[in-house]
Amino acid sequence: MRPLRAGSHRKITPADSRPRLANSQQPTANSQQPNTEHRPQVPAMVAATSQPPWIPPLLLAVVLLSDLRYSLAAEDNRGCPVTVRSTAHETWFATEVWAKVGRLKCLRCHRTGGDAAESSFVLLDPAASLNTPPQDVLRHNLAAFTAASRLQADGRYLLSEKPLGRLEHGGGAVLQPDSSAWKLLAEFQRRVNQTSASSPPDKTQPVAASQAATPSFFAGVTLADDQQLLRRATLSLVGRLPTQTEQQQVETGGRTALAEILMQLQHEEPYYVRLREAFNDIFLVLGIDGNPDSTVLSYEHFEKTRLWYQQHDLSHISDEKDRRQAGYKLANDYRQALLEEPLRLIEHIVRNDRPFSEILTADYIMVSAYSARGYGVYDQLKSQFRNPDDPLEFLPVRLSALVGRNASENQESATGFYPHAGLLSSFQYLSRYPTTETNRNRLRARMFYLHFLGVDILELAARGSDAAAATAAFPTPVMQAGECVVCHKTLDPVAGLFQDYWRFDANFSIYGRRREGWFEDMFAAGFEGQALPPEDRWRSLQWLAERTVRDPRFARTMAGHAWQMLTGRRPLQPPQDIDDPLFAAKQRAWEQQQCELDAVARRFTEDGMNFRSLIRDWVLTDFYRAHSLQNANATDDRLAELAEIGVVRMLSPEQLERKVQAVFGQPWGRLNEQTAMLYGGIDSKEVTERATDPSGAMGAIQRTLSNDVACRNTALDFSRPPAERLLFPDIEPTVVPGSSAEADLQIRQTIARLHQRILGRNDAVDSEEVQRTFQLFAGVVADAAAGDRFEPQETWHCRQGLLGPVPDPHYTVRAWRAVITYLLRQPEFLYE
Amino acid sequence: MRRDFLKYCTAAGLGLAAPVSASSRLIADEPGELPPHQGLCYIVLNASGGWDTTLLMDPKGIGGINRLYAAEQILQQGQHRFAPTEQHREGGLSNEQFYSEFGRELLTVNGLDYSVNNHSPCSRYMATGKLDSLAYPTFAALVAACQGPDCPLAFLTFGNYSATGNLVAMSRVPYLPSLQRIANADAIEGNARSPYNDDFALRRIEQAMADRRAARQKSSLLPRSERAESMLYAAQVNSKALSRVVPYIPKEIPKQRIAQQAEIALAAFKAGVCVSANLSIGQFDSHANNDKDQMKLIPELLEGLAYILHRAEELQIRERLVVIAQSEMGRTPNYNNGNGKDHWSVGSIMFLGPQIQGDRVIGATDDGQFAVRMNPQTLALQPSDGLQLRPEYIHQALRQFAGIDQHPFSLRFPLGVAPEQQLQKLWSTEQSPA
Repeated sequence: MRPLRAGSHRKITPADSRPRLANSQQPTANSQQPNTEHRPQVPAMVAATSQPPWIPPLLLAVVLLSDLRYSLAAEDNRGCPVTVRSTAHETWFATEVWAKVGRLKCLRCHRTGGDAAESSFVLLDPAASLNTPPQDVLRHNLAAFTAASRLQADGRYLLSEKPLGRLEHGGGAVLQPDSSAWKLLAEFQRRVNQTSASSPPDKTQPVAASQAATPSFFAGVTLADDQQLLRRATLSLVGRLPTQTEQQQVETGGRTALAEILMQLQHEEPYYVRLREAFNDIFLVLGIDGNPDSTVLSYEHFEKTRLWYQQHDLSHISDEKDRRQAGYKLANDYRQALLEEPLRLIEHIVRNDRPFSEILTADYIMVSAYSARGYGVYDQLKSQFRNPDDPLEFLPVRLSALVGRNASENQESATGFYPHAGLLSSFQYLSRYPTTETNRNRLRARMFYLHFLGVDILELAARGSDAAAATAAFPTPVMQAGECVVCHKTLDPVAGLFQDYWRFDANFSIYGRRREGWFEDMFAAGFEGQALPPEDRWRSLQWLAERTVRDPRFARTMAGHAWQMLTGRRPLQPPQDIDDPLFAAKQRAWEQQQCELDAVARRFTEDGMNFRSLIRDWVLTDFYRAHSLQNANATDDRLAELAEIGVVRMLSPEQLERKVQAVFGQPWGRLNEQTAMLYGGIDSKEVTERATDPSGAMGAIQRTLSNDVACRNTALDFSRPPAERLLFPDIEPTVVPGSSAEADLQIRQTIARLHQRILGRNDAVDSEEVQRTFQLFAGVVADAAAGDRFEPQETWHCRQGLLGPVPDPHYTVRAWRAVITYLLRQPEFLYE
Repeated sequence: MRRDFLKYCTAAGLGLAAPVSASSRLIADEPGELPPHQGLCYIVLNASGGWDTTLLMDPKGIGGINRLYAAEQILQQGQHRFAPTEQHREGGLSNEQFYSEFGRELLTVNGLDYSVNNHSPCSRYMATGKLDSLAYPTFAALVAACQGPDCPLAFLTFGNYSATGNLVAMSRVPYLPSLQRIANADAIEGNARSPYNDDFALRRIEQAMADRRAARQKSSLLPRSERAESMLYAAQVNSKALSRVVPYIPKEIPKQRIAQQAEIALAAFKAGVCVSANLSIGQFDSHANNDKDQMKLIPELLEGLAYILHRAEELQIRERLVVIAQSEMGRTPNYNNGNGKDHWSVGSIMFLGPQIQGDRVIGATDDGQFAVRMNPQTLALQPSDGLQLRPEYIHQALRQFAGIDQHPFSLRFPLGVAPEQQLQKLWSTEQSPA
């Protein structure tokens, strides 16, 4: 690895985007690059029966589009949010009609690739239009709605009638006639139709007064200063406190220096642990069932190699018990290596500054010396491992096409190689998300959409219907019943792209074709309206990956993953309840975060999809930096707008251990296994979501941790030479509160230091915070003195491992322990 | 005052639903011993994956809907008709045994229309009563937030959909020994005789914690910080009450899946530190070999149900325990080529507990296993123009049963059930409990 110098991160270009493969097999060129130019579609509405008397709808749309352009500022077509420079009519459309009806209801089907893609009312999905200025997307959709508002059939307006399930609406009834959503549509239709053709709605109206008066989103929010941000980032990314050098660099170099340090941090080894951990939280690939030597490497294709460890020569270990234990360790290390391969691929891509799109397009996998044996490729690689005995040193390698025990199970390949498509084609991903006879790869397709395009297909489906009736009414409901088609038209083509991975028992095989050919009672293999060319079937996942990484939703989704890595939560979902009094506030919160996400994603794309830059950019956003409010009397609306800003993340068990180590020089070491689960951890199988709020059980663990860590470290630190102490370099247990003004000042200075080290707070020695902690310290000492008697030394449990005796005749050591205990229970320590 | 504060701590978990109003901020007073929760406790037992209702409470003996029995073999106990499974089960408890013992207490609702048939949305719908939102709390979380905000393990979950709506913290205590471990957090290795701190020192720490919390509440925190700090403080303070659980932790860990979960939940109920628990066993998704799999799992589920009720009797909390047994979907009225059954959007739900009149079956499916509409006022079938019984109606009734339908938390998550759609006398033919 070649560390990058500060500020020297390079833009990744296509020319250097190919990996250096361990087996020196350069990949073949990917398939043809489709034209990715994205132009807003001009809606081509055709009147069902009667034309408006004064202008053809298509022409109207063009005219309106042209007119609207003049209402928007030309100098910055990336304005965000979309309503920044809109007219009153545009703003009303955006915040009412679009936000409450268009996006929530119409867009599910009326979009490219949607169930109503063939209709004459096709909308643009802002989430899929990263490269299109948001105002252009708004204009397109406003024009589409405007044109649709004028269409009639049998004297009834289509826009207000079809959503009620009338006039043969393919999506059935999606609105109730008395609903707020329908009333909005009707009002929009009324406004459009009361306007004469020569005077499109509001084209000359100025920006809405309320819009102009709206304060900036972060008005009244105090942001973390650069030093606070530095501490937050170093703890978050590499699990340590900032160095003095880094602090000085930020002191003198400000934000520029901080940006450079953020890039440097991402070259430290602990960062890669953090990276793998974060992406397992998302992809959950460690949660593979069974032993990975069987479920990742199948019997059919790796029969002779996958259980290599059973024959591995351990005869040099003479003791039988030791030999048996070595065998267990060998197997466990091998299994660990197999499990980690997908996460090591992500690490490899980031470590080598490769385009992050390679998580889908990498035509190689990562193997260690141990897992390479399972694949049967160790002999050709062994000279390239720095340490062949290290089970977790990984190299990229390209596998040959699979050869089955039976010729019928051989893998078709035009190149002779396995058609790797990053994570998608990895045995781990396929094994973690298996198929069944009836599921037909739909789970895989669903997870693909969720993981790589940020689309929760089942959330799309969340509308009341009657699945049983549809099943009875249609021979092929997934292709015929509207409530089924809305999802299956998107989902099933991608499921079809996994068709060659059609085995249900991973232990036996993962790869394998369906003997009868792929199902015809589901939409054919393809992606977002594009059919899979027959000649690309053997590399269908590569075909999918190539298109996916060019889809603007991919960059947005990766930006969302980066946000999740930093904050532990996914980007906001748009509000759904349009009758919620706080809808507008929540809508603004969502829009603002989307704007930031879009901006970050756009830079990510322009920067060659460099993941380190993505993390740096997020850390520097106001969303990450938000620290507190300037005004305690914010309204409910304002609080709803700001509800999700800032990090404020309860540390995971792993992060908490690292933080204890950073502050005290040694981890607690008990937040593992069952205790980690109890503390909100995941097992990647049954428990896949980390706890975000502390339960009483977790509160109990926090108490135990604070008691125990304080117990282990207080007297220990006093037992060190002062210059080597982490907590108490400038004070001794002989300093008793109240004994002199100098003593009290020394205690307060120590408290302020502890506040800084443990909590990251910069409290003055005469601050209220320091005073409170001082009272705790002095109170404990005073209570002890007022009591009958006490041992002149720490308790037995808390004086273990000392470097020398630490007498405690004044009870000050135990009082300091109480202070440490108190500080460890604070939110500034337990959260980031 | 203390209780108000702790309720506020829960109320502070509003997130996007309802931000903390500055005017509502309260000051913590001195921590003290929490009173135990002594109201009703709820277990929601999930048959995860989709149970075959025709092999339990909604038997069908015609049309090839099942292969285990014929129509004339369907059994009846009181008002309950059920499938004969004594000859088919692999372990566990047969329907015959279960209905014989519990039929008189059991309320069954058949013909429940989940509307869609995918695991994820169906699980969400059944757990919350709301299909199209990820924000709604499960009933178990909602009732815990409303009735036990100060309980350290107010809402326990062992799986299944467990969203909390940001109203209450979710507790996972997957292992019985874990309970022992967290019961005495201020003592070394949980040994109450070896405290870390002298009493006076611990009191000073707690006082400093309370003082700081009160001071922080006056400062201008971000909404997320306000919520986080409130919940953190409550979690630590309330965790002291966990010591009450210790006497009820069994010395031996049962082997059955449901029994293991039940022991933790029941001990927490008994100690007054828990209001509700999601219990769950999986593998019901019998796309292949439906009958064989379901005949392992349904008897296991019933055995688990019986275990819960017997153990609650032993702990003398049976009169406070409400059990809801459900699944996120049913199985198709036909077998696929692998002798399995696929997803079906019609199913059933069962209730047992105090104030629930048993020996009753509400709703029905027809011969094709389609839901039959019903009259919500009379609960009689009304196939032509009745109500399609859906989860939101059940949840509205559950909220009324628990007496939380007008609670501010419930009102924040409306189910959209009109008054004329509300199920009348679902819980009892005499009157609805409140």
